[in-house]
Amino acid sequence: MSQELILSRDAYLLTVEVRLFWLVALVYAFSALVLLFHILTRRVGIGRAAQGMMWAGMILHLGWIALRIFEGGRAPFQTLYESLSWFACTAVLTYLVVSRKWRDIYLPATFVAALSSGACFYALLSRSPAVPPLSPPLQSYWFEWHVVLAFFSYAVFVVSSSIEVTYLIVKPFLNRGADEVFGLTRSNIREFRGTAFNLVLFGFPLLTFAIFSGAAWANEAWGRYWSWDPKETWSLITWSVFTMYLHAMSIPKWRGNVASALNILGFVCMMMTFLGVNWLAKLLGIPSLHLYAV
Amino acid sequence: MAGSNRFLSLLYRKLSSLRTSVYVLGVLCIFYVIGTIFPQGGDINEYEKAGGRFLEAVRLFNLLDVFNTPWFLVPAFVLFLNVSVCTYDRFLRIRARRGAAPAAYSPDCTVHLALTRAEAEEEVSRILTRKMRFKVLRTGTDWTVMEKGLSYRWLTWLYHAGIAISFVGFFISGLFVREGIITLRPGEEVEIVSTMPENRGWLVPSDHSPPGFKLVLDEFITEYTESPRLDYPKDKRSRVAIALGWKDLSYRLDEDSFFPKDWFSRLRVVRDGSTLYEKKIEVNDPLRFEGYTFYQLAYEQRLKLRVGERLVEAEAGKKVDIPSIGTLRFGPLRTGTLFRLDGTTDKITPFVTVKRLSGGKTEELGRLVLNGHIRVGKSKLSLVDFEESSVLSYRYDPGVPILWVAGSIVFAVMTLRCFGRWYELAYRVEERDGTTSLLISIRSKGLGADPARVIRRLSHHLPGVRS
Repeated sequence: MSQELILSRDAYLLTVEVRLFWLVALVYAFSALVLLFHILTRRVGIGRAAQGMMWAGMILHLGWIALRIFEGGRAPFQTLYESLSWFACTAVLTYLVVSRKWRDIYLPATFVAALSSGACFYALLSRSPAVPPLSPPLQSYWFEWHVVLAFFSYAVFVVSSSIEVTYLIVKPFLNRGADEVFGLTRSNIREFRGTAFNLVLFGFPLLTFAIFSGAAWANEAWGRYWSWDPKETWSLITWSVFTMYLHAMSIPKWRGNVASALNILGFVCMMMTFLGVNWLAKLLGIPSLHLYAV
Repeated sequence: MAGSNRFLSLLYRKLSSLRTSVYVLGVLCIFYVIGTIFPQGGDINEYEKAGGRFLEAVRLFNLLDVFNTPWFLVPAFVLFLNVSVCTYDRFLRIRARRGAAPAAYSPDCTVHLALTRAEAEEEVSRILTRKMRFKVLRTGTDWTVMEKGLSYRWLTWLYHAGIAISFVGFFISGLFVREGIITLRPGEEVEIVSTMPENRGWLVPSDHSPPGFKLVLDEFITEYTESPRLDYPKDKRSRVAIALGWKDLSYRLDEDSFFPKDWFSRLRVVRDGSTLYEKKIEVNDPLRFEGYTFYQLAYEQRLKLRVGERLVEAEAGKKVDIPSIGTLRFGPLRTGTLFRLDGTTDKITPFVTVKRLSGGKTEELGRLVLNGHIRVGKSKLSLVDFEESSVLSYRYDPGVPILWVAGSIVFAVMTLRCFGRWYELAYRVEERDGTTSLLISIRSKGLGADPARVIRRLSHHLPGVRS
């Protein structure tokens, strides 16, 4: 095939891919809006419809990922454009899998759908969709494992914090005597919150492996397993905060609001690791070894 | 004496407490955040020149090297003590637990059976041990206690021990590490002496002798792929226009659409003139020899130029002032192999792009090919030769093997602890008013555990279960 043909084929595929990504972002955004409507009306059917939309968006999103893999011939998480998409997809997928345990509880979905659509729009409006070749430092067997597991842990922490926020919103109403708030009752709220803990328990080894594999990879590529690079340091902060959360859950007095606050703080630190640190490094002019991911 | 014993006992209690872990981790997090706000390893004068804030505090607390200050190292050491003491304390407690008398159990469920008490006891024990593979922990008292799965207590203990060992690895790194940078020119034998200030561990003397071998660069190879440029609009409205189908995307290949695919150094380790080891290294595939590891870090390219009759040397990628021409900026020298989009490969005729900088303006002068020339004003600029050097970083770090082992233990055992399953099942058979009842208490740990399923299975296998 001639170079011109290759270029026009790649441009066509990229155009289709970008439009598909817009569609995914709009479906997530629309489901977030419908979920807001569910909050206002408290009608279960609306929540159910919104969750159906999230399923549809996620299936389209998986199609987008398959297309991107075909275009790049590699896993789609090299650039920030790709990682934002991967982050949104894994968050929605994790939420949809976890939510199968419950019936008619849709409040956490609002948070997940809004965050995912925000990530997609940020990628579409602020980043370039170009598919660059893999730079030499990224050509390592650690690349896929490190990123896939890190992002799965992020997805799990997003869903965990969405449950924790829901718990904090609903608990005062139930304490004041309400029988049922957004599908949660006094009999099921403990188990519901237990899911947030189980999710952190699930994500914590993944984050541990992401940090360990990152250090092993850095040792292979740069000759230093730890450089106190801002991204590394923030991942250590995230790990420390979730360690604090897991320990707090073993201390009876801290199992309540202290643990909830730590879980939400862990989510904030995770977002700092993923996005905030790039902004911080740019703002303060701190060189980062992870700037290729910007 | 009693006072010091009381103090030691208090210290032990505090250091083996979970709350201490949470507090110390919190304090360390504050230092981590500080370390990402102030540029670590930076020079205070440069920081001041760049308009850095809080100068007094930065100077006083050495915030540009916060991870080497006592403010950070003391809480880090306390965390190490905390993890080590907790590990020791939990070891004693787990051992003390084994064989201890059973505590009181409150039943989670009761199953009524159409069996005699003796029959029920025999059946339950048989099903749990043979069909469901529980191990008997304690028997002979009111309650029979059984266990299934890897003990979560030992798993938790083991990964905490792994974390404590990791600290030992960090500590050994801090004491004995040696790292620096060497530049190799083709064919030259080079001693392992850093061209920049060497980063040394606390116990490494500043005048330590280099290792008794030398390195030789036999060949330096670069490979490129063609990377087309995407015409993608910067403004958000145009991006929306693409989404709406009003505009399509397009790619173009520029004159210098070269993307570095890989670079390699063919290295030889020599001692007293004889070759001991050879390897072609690249990023992510270093050379290891006698405890040292050599990493492909970067490369330098020196250009030999002719301006009129004069020879001038310049470094690719940098600015150079040439009398009669002005200030020129050379791009990276492209040489080696080019992998084209259509799958073919080409040998690149070495070239460099040239720009002239004058009065804040940049003028593109074009491609300067090896043995070719371009005209700059009235002068003729030719590229007559070039030289590529390989820049390697080296590291000697005896802490790394310990960290590999400890890190692998932490990850593997933590995974088993979190994803695995462990059950402790206690049961008692009662007979009252002619009815036999099985009282079950079950505890579980790990995401794979499902106590309700265990009870369902037990009820399913038991004969004579009454609804």
